[in-house]
Amino acid sequence: MSSAADRRHTGLVFNIQKYSVHDGPGIRTIVFLKGCPLSCRWCSNPESQSNQTELAYNKGRCLGLDKCVRCPAVCVRNALTRRQDATLDIERTRCQGCHRPCVDACPAQALVAYGKNMSVDDVLRTVEQDAAFYNRSGGGMTLSGGEPLYQGDFTLALLQEAKRRRLKTAMETSGMAQPETLRQARVLLDDILFDLKHMDSAVHEANTGAPNARILENFRILAEEFPDLRLLARTPVIPGFNDNEEAIAAIAAFLKPYEQVRYELLPYHRLGTQKYVFLDRSCSMGDVTLDKTIMSRVESTARDILKERFRSP
Amino acid sequence: MSTVICDCLSPQEQRVHDQIEGKEDRYRKTHSRVFSLLERFEGQKPRIDIERALYFTQSMRETEGQPLVLRWAKALMHIARNITVYVQEDQLLLGRAGCDGRYGILYPELDGDFLDIAVRDLPTRATSPATITPEDAKRVIEEIAPYWKGKTYHEALNAALPPEIHKLTYDDPLGLISRFIVNETSSFRSSIQWVHDYEKILKRGFNDIKKEAQEKLDALDPLSAKDYCEKRPFLEAVVIVCDAIVLWAKRHASLAREMAAIEFNPQRKAELSRMAEIADRVPGEPARDFYDACQSQWFTQMFSRLEQKTGTTISNGRMDQYFYPYYQKGIEDGSLTEETAIELLECMWVGMAEFIDMYISPTGGAFNEGYAHWEAVTVGGQTPDGRDATNDLTYLILKSKREFPLHYPDLAARIHSRAPERYLWDVAETIKFGSGFPKLINDEEVVPLYVSKGATFEEALDYAVSGCTEARMPNRDTYTSGGAYINFAAAVEMVLRNGRMKKYGDQLLGVETGNPRFFKTWKEFWDAYVQQHMLFMKAAFIQQHIIINLRARHFAQPMGSAMHDLCMKHCIDLHQPQIPEGINFGYFEYMGLGTVVDSLAAVKKLVFEEKKLTMDELLRAIDANFEGYEDIKALLRTAPCYGNNDPYADEIGRAIDKISVEYGKNYSMKDLGIHNDVRYVPFTSHVPFGKVVSATPNGRTEWFPLSDGSSASHGADVNGPTAVMLSNYSTKNMGMRDRAARMLNIKFTPKCLEGEQGTEKLVAFIRTFCDLKLWHVQFNVIRKDTLLAAQKDPQKYRNLIVRIAGYSAYFVDLSPDLQNDLIARTEHGAL
Repeated sequence: MSSAADRRHTGLVFNIQKYSVHDGPGIRTIVFLKGCPLSCRWCSNPESQSNQTELAYNKGRCLGLDKCVRCPAVCVRNALTRRQDATLDIERTRCQGCHRPCVDACPAQALVAYGKNMSVDDVLRTVEQDAAFYNRSGGGMTLSGGEPLYQGDFTLALLQEAKRRRLKTAMETSGMAQPETLRQARVLLDDILFDLKHMDSAVHEANTGAPNARILENFRILAEEFPDLRLLARTPVIPGFNDNEEAIAAIAAFLKPYEQVRYELLPYHRLGTQKYVFLDRSCSMGDVTLDKTIMSRVESTARDILKERFRSP
Repeated sequence: MSTVICDCLSPQEQRVHDQIEGKEDRYRKTHSRVFSLLERFEGQKPRIDIERALYFTQSMRETEGQPLVLRWAKALMHIARNITVYVQEDQLLLGRAGCDGRYGILYPELDGDFLDIAVRDLPTRATSPATITPEDAKRVIEEIAPYWKGKTYHEALNAALPPEIHKLTYDDPLGLISRFIVNETSSFRSSIQWVHDYEKILKRGFNDIKKEAQEKLDALDPLSAKDYCEKRPFLEAVVIVCDAIVLWAKRHASLAREMAAIEFNPQRKAELSRMAEIADRVPGEPARDFYDACQSQWFTQMFSRLEQKTGTTISNGRMDQYFYPYYQKGIEDGSLTEETAIELLECMWVGMAEFIDMYISPTGGAFNEGYAHWEAVTVGGQTPDGRDATNDLTYLILKSKREFPLHYPDLAARIHSRAPERYLWDVAETIKFGSGFPKLINDEEVVPLYVSKGATFEEALDYAVSGCTEARMPNRDTYTSGGAYINFAAAVEMVLRNGRMKKYGDQLLGVETGNPRFFKTWKEFWDAYVQQHMLFMKAAFIQQHIIINLRARHFAQPMGSAMHDLCMKHCIDLHQPQIPEGINFGYFEYMGLGTVVDSLAAVKKLVFEEKKLTMDELLRAIDANFEGYEDIKALLRTAPCYGNNDPYADEIGRAIDKISVEYGKNYSMKDLGIHNDVRYVPFTSHVPFGKVVSATPNGRTEWFPLSDGSSASHGADVNGPTAVMLSNYSTKNMGMRDRAARMLNIKFTPKCLEGEQGTEKLVAFIRTFCDLKLWHVQFNVIRKDTLLAAQKDPQKYRNLIVRIAGYSAYFVDLSPDLQNDLIARTEHGAL
């Protein structure tokens, strides 16, 4: 496609975060894309899962309907009502597909729309603001999500145009994508950060909503067809799911033959739980936390198998 | 998405925790001498030593009517003869300006008119308290203060300011309380920050300067009245101060020799004998080796503290450059080791930490909280020839900063586009330590600016960092008058209140720009702001015109002048308004950039463009300090803010910068004969300046601190540190030269800089800072909960060092106000 056509392409973006130093080389900007084929129980970005915009309500920021009634005043669908404690009750079924005037009316930023339609041009304009930092650090743009390949056409157009502008590109992926889309994306990427969550397909399916065969197959494609690609495998260590030596050892053993692949473990954190509340959803993880001693035990498991290819973040 | 979180402490936090748990400091073993020196005064409330003030006053009383520079020299000689000299246990360097422990000295020529009252209040005041014995307090009140009543510069200035300028400057007829609108800063110090040419003293010694002055005296035209009345007293004064400092040094030598004679410990006996031998020689004669050089430099800077109160105390210059030949020679011939070199430097750091730059006036105290002093030691940068200047001593000084983390001296690292990777890594590792050192100054901004203002490349390339953020060329710079600190957030308030301020009631202070409710367009509002802005600028320049000429009649510095090429060449004291061939770098302070930009952006967008709010609603909310108007307060905070690389806000910032720069361009050289350029460096004064400004349209509540320097408003910078830097870059008028320093604070959590990767990214961040040609940046590497814990339990955290507005201080030394201010700043975590 031509540059002009690529630049006009639009996609649903829910955040663009500057100065990221933990997701790819150098100083980077992460573009978070909405929509994901998986629904992991521990997902720290619940707002990334749906491919529609969603209304979030942060009660903590709300001034209270005793002090401010701007949002119900502009709601044409009568979806917003007052609870007894002066907080807001959202009738979400009425809310679908609305252009959300309530968000613009809210002075406190208690109502936020997750997801914004942006063109490739819009996204890159924001990304290129930090170009001076990429030049010096070897950083660039990292696509994340959700699953960036879920909006495959947009992602490819974004990467294509980014490459025309000589930006360094990276992508975090769940690996759950069409192999052909992945192949097309790969040639536009300098780094791929690939999540491998569990080697046992049944356990995988029970916790993420999908079996792992496609993911493993995609990993093999990247690792075997593109041996020069900088590929980093990552596993989020989740209590009750894969926080044991067997699970991690199995992943490390799977990675062992691919000598160019490096590996990282990411400890489970609960920072996302707040966002479930904003969406009137509940997180099935509850209050569980990751045991630090278990974390260091599985780290040594991975290090034993992969030696210096394993790096602790 | 992957997020990495774990508990991670900066090494400084680790050190504090270890100390709480009673573990021995890991560096103690290798630095035992300085650790024991430090432990004697860490956490002590400073004591006031009155000897300097007493002898200075005694002499000045005797010399009335004589030329000022000569009187000053004679006073220094009187001090040199009579002041108590000390040899401290375990110290390797001689020379201090007062008693053992943490101490401050008095300069009654500055504040003698209210010294008696101040001395009474000093022990109990909230900002920077100090102790004084009842006997000393009595002598101050009965012997010292009375002489100065009616004679101080401050009184003369107070009388000289015309009423319309006075009312913007002071809040009372005596001029003791600042208005914090157009604040003068010339009366609480004899000079703004300064750097001596220490290298000259190391190479030539004061005896050679005395010889030069003597030869000049002999060569004066015996028939010239000018030579007789102007040059002769100056040269005689130089001769006297050269003798005075040598005499003072030799008194230390005698004392050390006496103590050596009765010392039982053979090691200490040998040390004392060597100290005596060195003090007999320097600073009169040239330094022979590294020890001589350290002692000579130390005597020079300590005696210059007795001479006058230099704002932020006298800076140390390019220490890794002028000490290097002595260091190199010692290492090569085996007479010096790295360890002994570090020990000597750290003995000097201890001496600097013990000296407190005491501000007697309430305004001065509020400006420089936490006993601030910036005796900047400069490392790195370029040679006068434009090559990279780093050497082994550069790395040694950085290492010392990491291993023995005293908050003095202030360390400044010069950065240029070809700075070696090793240097930047060492700088980054030192920053990561978390005590805020070093601050970074950018050659790529300073050098071309200084060349454009008249310096040669050689001079500009050899600049030394001076005080908080300034850069000095010690033999070319000649300007010493403190400039105005201008509260532009007050200008915004005056637009809203038709030339008045809530704090000062009905009094008309600004321009009556009309009732803002009747403004129909943003342009009308902006024009009203510009009118208030211009009034403040005009007041500041009138102040400065008066100050420049008045100071010369009240201050002299024969010793500082003796070290300056141009003063010696033209036989003129440095405090005179114009030194031939000199360059005058003056500046006025733009206070509250973030507050003003965010306020104007909110008005422009919400009132005039989106019409989400009427001016009347805004004014009512502001009058109520947002009580009952929480929705409006919240709404105001949604407007574009400075510090987010948002063009909407940054364009307003650039427009504000432009009218400030242009005023300087039009009136500085023409009216004042100096460069009077806009600067964004508040020290800690954004706190007291905030205390006179009521609620502002950026949702800031009344009396809350203003934004500091060129940093964003508290918590307004939500897009991370790259955006903070880019906003700074975007609000500069790069095509014009009439600008001075901009101070930028960035706070990182340790997590964000963890490990080798973290260092690498910080290095890249610093290189980008250099590319963007920003003047200055400094980093706080600290976690918010550490600060909160320190606030709750100051005793435990008394050695916790934090970075505030250009300097590091013990966190627990700060007032609760400023502690909260620091805590409220945005943390840039990497989630």
